[in-house]
Amino acid sequence: MRVYRDDQKFLNFRINVLLWANVTVFVFLAGSFWFVQGLQADKYRMLSEANALREVVMPAKRGLIMDRNGKILADNQPAYSLTIDRVLLKTLVKNDPQHKPKLFEFITTILGIPAAEVQARYDKGVAAGGMQPIMMGEDISMEQVAMIQAQSVIFPEVNVDPVQRRNYPYGTMAAHTMGFIGEATEKDLANRKDLKLGDLLGKRGVELMYDNYLRGKDGAQYWEYDSKGRRLGEYRPSRKEPVAGDNLYLTIDFELQRRAEQYFIENEFVGAAVALDPRNGEVLAMVSSPEFNPNVYSKRFTPEVYKTITSNPFKIELNRVIQGLYSPGSVFKTVMAAAGLDSGAIGPDTSFDCGGSAVFFGRRFRCWQKNGHGAVNVERGLKVSCDIFFYNTGARLGVDKIAEYAKELSFGSITQIDLDGEKAGIVPSTQWALAKQHRKWYPSETISVAIGQGPLIVTPLQVGVMMAAIANGGTVYRPHVVRTIEHQNADGTTNRLRVASQALRQLHMKPEVIEHVKNGLWKVVNEDGGTGGNARISGLDISGKTGTVQVIAQSGWFSTAGLPFMQRDHAWFASYAKKNEPQMVVVVFVEHAGAHGGTDSAPLAKMLYEARFQDQVLNARLNLSDPETLAQLKEGKLPQPGVAPKEPAQTTPGLGH
Amino acid sequence: MIERRLLPTLDLNFLGTAIVIAAIGCMLIYSATYFGDPSLYIFRKQLLWMAIALVLMAIFIVVDYHVLFDIAPILYGIGLALLTYLLIWGKIRAHTKSWIQLPGGFQFQPSEFMKIFTALMLAKFFDSNDRAYLNLRSFAMAMAIIGAPVLLILAQPDFGTAATFAPLVAVAMFFGGMRWRFWIVLALVVVIALPLGWKFFLKGYQKERIMIFLNPERDPLGSGYQVTQAKIAIGSGGIHGKGFKNGTQAKLEYLPARHTDFIFAVLGEEWGFIGVVIVLGLYLFLIMQSLSFAKHARDRGGTFLIISLICFFIFHILINVSMQIGVLPTTGIPLPLISYGGSSTMMFFIAIGLMLNVDMRRFVNV
Repeated sequence: MRVYRDDQKFLNFRINVLLWANVTVFVFLAGSFWFVQGLQADKYRMLSEANALREVVMPAKRGLIMDRNGKILADNQPAYSLTIDRVLLKTLVKNDPQHKPKLFEFITTILGIPAAEVQARYDKGVAAGGMQPIMMGEDISMEQVAMIQAQSVIFPEVNVDPVQRRNYPYGTMAAHTMGFIGEATEKDLANRKDLKLGDLLGKRGVELMYDNYLRGKDGAQYWEYDSKGRRLGEYRPSRKEPVAGDNLYLTIDFELQRRAEQYFIENEFVGAAVALDPRNGEVLAMVSSPEFNPNVYSKRFTPEVYKTITSNPFKIELNRVIQGLYSPGSVFKTVMAAAGLDSGAIGPDTSFDCGGSAVFFGRRFRCWQKNGHGAVNVERGLKVSCDIFFYNTGARLGVDKIAEYAKELSFGSITQIDLDGEKAGIVPSTQWALAKQHRKWYPSETISVAIGQGPLIVTPLQVGVMMAAIANGGTVYRPHVVRTIEHQNADGTTNRLRVASQALRQLHMKPEVIEHVKNGLWKVVNEDGGTGGNARISGLDISGKTGTVQVIAQSGWFSTAGLPFMQRDHAWFASYAKKNEPQMVVVVFVEHAGAHGGTDSAPLAKMLYEARFQDQVLNARLNLSDPETLAQLKEGKLPQPGVAPKEPAQTTPGLGH
Repeated sequence: MIERRLLPTLDLNFLGTAIVIAAIGCMLIYSATYFGDPSLYIFRKQLLWMAIALVLMAIFIVVDYHVLFDIAPILYGIGLALLTYLLIWGKIRAHTKSWIQLPGGFQFQPSEFMKIFTALMLAKFFDSNDRAYLNLRSFAMAMAIIGAPVLLILAQPDFGTAATFAPLVAVAMFFGGMRWRFWIVLALVVVIALPLGWKFFLKGYQKERIMIFLNPERDPLGSGYQVTQAKIAIGSGGIHGKGFKNGTQAKLEYLPARHTDFIFAVLGEEWGFIGVVIVLGLYLFLIMQSLSFAKHARDRGGTFLIISLICFFIFHILINVSMQIGVLPTTGIPLPLISYGGSSTMMFFIAIGLMLNVDMRRFVNV
């Protein structure tokens, strides 16, 4: 043993070399780990999650649709769907090649659909790729759920997933306004990056137009899978809660909508009705009859349902209020009166003599009243709907002047309502004839246009917007069906966004012109001999204009009620109340009614006014200074709402246009 | 045996550091296996190995290393005999015959213990060889001491374990002292031997591992899968880690060999960069402390024993940690004091004991 070693220095030097070499390598290693864990951490974190986690979509709750008072028109109902876990299926098929045919047979029996359909749904799900479960059946019954669960040992890959099904509790109620939802098509998927295969989205109406608000944002659950493909449980930290869609409050008033629809159903009428608030363009009711049931549409697998709908002879998919194009008939005389007065073609006292017919541009044109109306000025012209008066006005104006005013009063272009598929209609003019028909405009055609016939076609909504502009003294509002958008925050509070009413333009008309037109419209309903007496309500100033559109050529007017359906006349009634304080516009259009506007359309308008101004109507009836009311009260009888105490005298059989 | 007055010279910092590292190892093994092994069989077995290893360490502290030098040839001889026995009667497991079955289902790897015995033998040799530089005869002698077990292990064939004897060769050459001309000759030999070794000695799967190391995209789901998953585990841990028992890579069994060779990846995933730096720091402390023991050892044999043993540590740590993030190719080399495994746990605790043994007896007058 040595106490002092001569090689000590030599060794110590080399030990120090080893020491510092080590320190260097350790620093290098720590640096390498910093590179992986500090700089590239995000990349590896994603890879780690991709390894272990599989995303399962948590569908967002679609927003509710309510009427203006919060009555729910569309909600979501818990339902069950049948899905296949494809990860599990893979291993099962690997162990038993016969498993897949057995599974298909099982699903075919459970769902009661053809085997080819089962295969098609499966192939569609496989084509979607990824690890998402394959959707095999929607909205399955509790018995089906029980059958599936009874076989869960044999078919563990078959899952029953709770889902939300779109539900319209009142069925056909406001169906055309609400629209419906459906599965995203390939076109939808190509246009919108945020959609996945199998997503449901709005297809029509409010469901389509406000889809971005209603749909919300899907969340995701992450299930942990181990390296052998076994599902372990949910990985909470990655969970993304779904964001519920916004609720919509429509401008629609449930009561008005219900009554209007009831009217069409009870009378088996085909047609349209729209009620607007002339002060802001809100749509209070919108009916297109016949209606469809959106509950039938809003399903995933419904190709056969689509076929039955598109082949319906009454075109039930058509929203007649915005898509139905009809001749306005005598309703257009409102526009003629305004145009004539404002352009100076006629004055308020200009009078034409109606002898039942007159000759214009070498052709004889008839008034609907064979015996003639005698001397007629503009207000009386509106009241009795005298054709001769407006033929003369039209002849003085010329078609281009008529077109100018018609366009200003919203015809010939879309009203910009917040619904899809709105039609613009046609307002003819000499230029229109040249550009669209490559022909000259014949002056005699102008005479037809003057009473709302000829190539002129309009939608009921355009008539409503025109009436609203007259009623409110000259402001054209953009009609809309959504009143409030209610956003639900994560903390349970809500933000409400009120849809602002939008004045599109101000009519360039002298105020006294509008005043004369309004006087005429008031007389239509409230003076004996007016064509709209059927809408009269005591205590309420209703003004309006009737219209009857001939579908077949007639010499003079006679009732077409006995003719085949498709040959009967259309009936219009466009109105507002109250005269000096307008709060509601009602346009009713009945297709092939057979009777004139005053008979078939006016009663609905009357019903709606009664509902809308219920308090006022009742007060008027219970006026204690009225001896008749007092007498009734003494007898213990209260007047029934909706029944006018006194029918207006019917001066002409069949009344007027 | 041990004299009571030696006790105050026992370096408790060194011993404590080793035990802290081993404790971290137990936590990692628990975290890596509790999910797939709810009965905690692996974890409990490791605790048993730890207990046995601590007892063995105590023995190797108490018995004076000079006594061990005296019996070194016997231990070395027994080791060689066991390796020879394996070659003839051993059963092939995972390509190699490196395990001896013991009654009761236990088994051990003689090659692990052979590392200690060879280190003792080499230290004993250098204790008596006090030249600053090796001559050809003593160089050949040192190489023979190391070469005999290496050849037997290579024949198993266990390339990875044989390679762990490399630090002894380095110690012999670097600390034994080699002249320049030897280094040049050696360099030439290596240059010639490498291609020959590639052609004749390496097995197909060993070549594949090296090829994948050079080009990791070569086979991402095969041999490269391990490194890929280890990197995902480590990288996804980030700075702070996912927390104890929260590593998805390890828990969900995406990470292969997660309680043995790739346990450092579990550390990286669950404890993050902070955990990595702490464990590397503890190792560095252990290395620096042992090198200071080596400087102050009473005799040349003690110095060489410590250097040989700590070089085993350094070699295992660097290779194992480097392969976690693909700096070096994947080999079956455990992480000292942390990886699961009876033989390696015992071997490293014995090494710790021996280093303490030499340090404790550094004063001449004791």
